[in-house]
Amino acid sequence: MKNQSTFSKIISWMSSAAGLTIVISVVVAIIATIDSGPFTLINAIVTGGMWALMSAGLSLLFGVMNLVNFAHGEFFMIGTLVAYFTFTPLHNIAKGNPGGVLMIVAPIIAILAATVVGLVFGAVMEKLVFLQLRKRSKEQWVMNTFLLTVGLSVIIINGTQLIWGTDFKGITRYWDVEPLHLWGINISVDRVAVFFIAVITMAIFWFFLRRTNLGRAVRAVSMDETGALMVGINLNRIQVLTVMLSSALAAMAGASLLFMFPSYPTVGLKPLYIAWYVVIIAGLGNVSGAIVGGFIVALLQTLTSFYIGVGWEDVIPTAIIMLILLIKPSGLFGSEVKGIHEQ
Amino acid sequence: MLEIKNISASYGFLQVLWDVSLKVERGEFVALLGPNGAGKTTTLKTIAGLLQPIGGDVLLEGKSIIDLPAHLINKQKISYISEKLNLFTAMTIEENLILGGYTIKDNDKKKESLAFVYELFPRLEERKKQLAGTLSGGERKMLAIGRGIMSSPEVMLVDEPSLGLAPNLTVDVFDALKTLVTRGVTILLVEQNVYTTLKITDRAYVLEHGKIVSEGVSADLLTQPHIKQAYLGI
Repeated sequence: MKNQSTFSKIISWMSSAAGLTIVISVVVAIIATIDSGPFTLINAIVTGGMWALMSAGLSLLFGVMNLVNFAHGEFFMIGTLVAYFTFTPLHNIAKGNPGGVLMIVAPIIAILAATVVGLVFGAVMEKLVFLQLRKRSKEQWVMNTFLLTVGLSVIIINGTQLIWGTDFKGITRYWDVEPLHLWGINISVDRVAVFFIAVITMAIFWFFLRRTNLGRAVRAVSMDETGALMVGINLNRIQVLTVMLSSALAAMAGASLLFMFPSYPTVGLKPLYIAWYVVIIAGLGNVSGAIVGGFIVALLQTLTSFYIGVGWEDVIPTAIIMLILLIKPSGLFGSEVKGIHEQ
Repeated sequence: MLEIKNISASYGFLQVLWDVSLKVERGEFVALLGPNGAGKTTTLKTIAGLLQPIGGDVLLEGKSIIDLPAHLINKQKISYISEKLNLFTAMTIEENLILGGYTIKDNDKKKESLAFVYELFPRLEERKKQLAGTLSGGERKMLAIGRGIMSSPEVMLVDEPSLGLAPNLTVDVFDALKTLVTRGVTILLVEQNVYTTLKITDRAYVLEHGKIVSEGVSADLLTQPHIKQAYLGI
């Protein structure tokens, strides 16, 4: 009897929008793997993990503070920049001693440094910009945060350009080792490492939100600010924490993908657009939806560029998003937070 | 224990409270009655720190708490159960209750409170894994009161618990409040359900158009001509 009810639960989940999307994505991924080998799938999983990090942060920011962040790409860019300036000198030292520990640890130090800078940068943004706006006016909040963050994005991009120039600051790879041979193809160690970084980070993030007191408080604020105040949650503290986390996740994604995206002032724009695709299809403010959505969008992109052409990479996901919004305006996975309309 | 002194409050240019004063002694069960729009909820919101009044003071054990930000009121052992309940709808019952004890750092104490809430409302324990947003009206009320109890408050401000409830559920909720009072909790209850409220409370204040128009022992108020005429229809 119990088995039957679990079974019918699974069936009803599969016929819901979220279930359908996930099932269709898995089927498409399997077909593509059979048709073109595991390479597309691995690509999709690697980039998907990073889009998931970007979008989870963006989604959390919207969920908790109703903040429409168009400077999220700049968090990513700062991550690439910090990783580049940390990794290159370390790598030069390490080259003097091939086979040393530093060779293996340098990339990890670079990514951690970027994450820490991301945390600090997030705190500065909150204290200097968002808190100030919140203190002055809460009217038209969503529109104001949009305008404010677009402006910030322009300032940060041009500031970076002024200080560090427009040249590409990239690396060929993080780990100077032979690629792994899996299922008859070569996968660089970087990609595997990046995938694990994404998975571990998301697991910690998920655990934090679901199982710790502070994480529960973050979710509580996203659901009901007044309720959160009533149980004694300090809103300001949670808001600082949210911006810090969101910024750190994006910086970490940027640092991890440095070998794919060399650092230059506008490197964050594409990840920003992608993160917004993901957040929109997943449902605004839905963090776990954003994680799944990250993988789905990455799959769409890799398949499009493999079968149709790289030039179409952004066209197809955008078209699909427009379709989804026409059919289901609240996003595929719905939203567990208060919407813009209730403000 | 809790004293409100000459509170005046407004929403923008619209003044709602004029010089409202009331007093609740330790262990008392006091009602604040009045028609719609009289300013009952505004009074509670002011005590809970969610609304900054334009004048007056709120004293807890003689100390002013009027300047405390809303999130620190809970730490003063005051728990506010709002009319809208403000539950965390996408969380389970248990998560809501755990968050109710957010300010309690002692885990054993938290477990004790949780056990007490489940004893008071067995229904909540049966459904502890259910999302708060999927509960019925009565269960939501229970959850909101339960969440308020989790911080082991000394004073509870309860706003219209009978609103939208079937009469038998209203009785259940009032019984729960009565149990809390016998356990030593001081309760300030806002209600429109005048007859039942006057039956169970010790004292009552009547608020009309933002002013206290009468006050006294509940049993006496039941016989007062104005109350009888305006609220009881006899």
